[in-house]
Amino acid sequence: MASVAELKAAIDVALQQIGDGQTAVQAAGEKLAEAQQTLAGALEGSGHETVEAAQASLTQASQELEECLAATLVAVEQAQLYVASL
Amino acid sequence: MSIIEDIGAQVRAVADELPLAQLAVALEKFGQATERLRWVRQESANPMGAPELSAATEHAETAGYALRVAQEQLSAYLAAIGLAADGAPAPKADERQPRHDAPREVAPPAPGAGPEQGVDPTARRWWAVRVAELTGGREGPSDEPDEQVGDSRELLRRVVTGVRSGDRDRLHRELRRAHADVGLGLAAVAPPLLRDLAGELLGHPPRADDLGRLRRELDGRVRDLLPGLPPPVLDALLTRVCRMPPPRRAEDQEQPHAADPAVTAGVVTGVLLDRLGRDLPADAVEREPSRGAHG
Repeated sequence: MASVAELKAAIDVALQQIGDGQTAVQAAGEKLAEAQQTLAGALEGSGHETVEAAQASLTQASQELEECLAATLVAVEQAQLYVASL
Repeated sequence: MSIIEDIGAQVRAVADELPLAQLAVALEKFGQATERLRWVRQESANPMGAPELSAATEHAETAGYALRVAQEQLSAYLAAIGLAADGAPAPKADERQPRHDAPREVAPPAPGAGPEQGVDPTARRWWAVRVAELTGGREGPSDEPDEQVGDSRELLRRVVTGVRSGDRDRLHRELRRAHADVGLGLAAVAPPLLRDLAGELLGHPPRADDLGRLRRELDGRVRDLLPGLPPPVLDALLTRVCRMPPPRRAEDQEQPHAADPAVTAGVVTGVLLDRLGRDLPADAVEREPSRGAHG
C-alpha cells in the first residue's frame, strides 16, 4: 500500500503533466487562431463551399480546444482538493 | 507568381502549419497524467479529476480530427481552383501524379475516356478502397463519387438510414461513394452524438464500468456491417464514449487507417439509433456538436 507521501508525489507529477498539456493546448489554440486569421484574409469573399467547410472545421477545432482547457482546469481543481484532503 | 498562386501558397501554408504537433504533445502529456492518476486511484475511490481529464483528452482528440478534416478540405479547395496541394499550378494531364483522392469539384472523366496513364486508380480513390476493405465489399467502377452528398452530416444521415434499413449493400454503397473529405468528416460530426445515444441505451452517462457492456451490445452488429474493421478501432471509439483514456497500442500494432475511426463512428451511431428504435433527430444533423462534459 502506498504512503500518503507517495500519493502526493504522484499527483504532483500528474498535475505537472496536465500543466504541460495545457501549455501545448494553449499554443495550439494560438496557432489555430493565426491560421484562421490568415485564411480569412486570403480567402475573403470566396464563398466557396469547401472553404466554408474548412473554416467551420477550424472553428470546431477551436471550440474543442477551449472545452479541453476548461475540462483540464476542473481536473486540476479536483486533484488539488484531493491532495488537500490527504 | 500569379494572384491565384499566391493565394494557393497561403492556403497551403495554413494547412501545413495547423497545430497537430502541439495537440500530439498535449495528448501525450494528458495520457501520462491519466496513467499517474490511475495508479493513485488504486488507493482511493476519489476520482480526483480523472473523469474531467478523460473529457479533456476527448476534446483534444476531436480537435485533432477537425484539423485533419480541415486539411483535406483545403486540399480539395486548392485542387478546385486548379492548384496542386503544394500551391503550384496543377500538372497537365499527361504528367499527372497519383493523387490523394479526387476532390469534389473536379469533374469525373468523360465517358469512354481511358484510364490515366501511370495512375493507380486505388491511389485516386483511397477512401473507397478502404471502405471496401472494411465492409468486405468490392470497390468497382460503378462507385463514382456521389455529388449530392456535400457534407458529412448528410452522409451521416444516409449511413444511419442504411443501418436502420438493414440493407448492408446500401450502407456500403453510401460509404464507398462518399468523397474522402466528406467521409473523414464523420469523425467530427458523429462522436458528439455517440455519448448521448450510449447514455440512453445504458440509462446513465457512460462510464468506465460500462465499456464491457457497450462492447457486448454493439460489437456483433458492427462486426456484421464492417467485417474488415480491426478490433482496436471499435475499442478506441468506445473508450472515448466512456470517457476513458485511449487503449494502449501494442508495439507491433499499426496506426489505424485514417478512414477507420470515421466509418466506425458513423456506423456505431446508426447501430445505436437502431437499438433505441429511433431515427437521427432532424436537428442532430444540423446542430453544432454538443459541448461540455457529460458525467
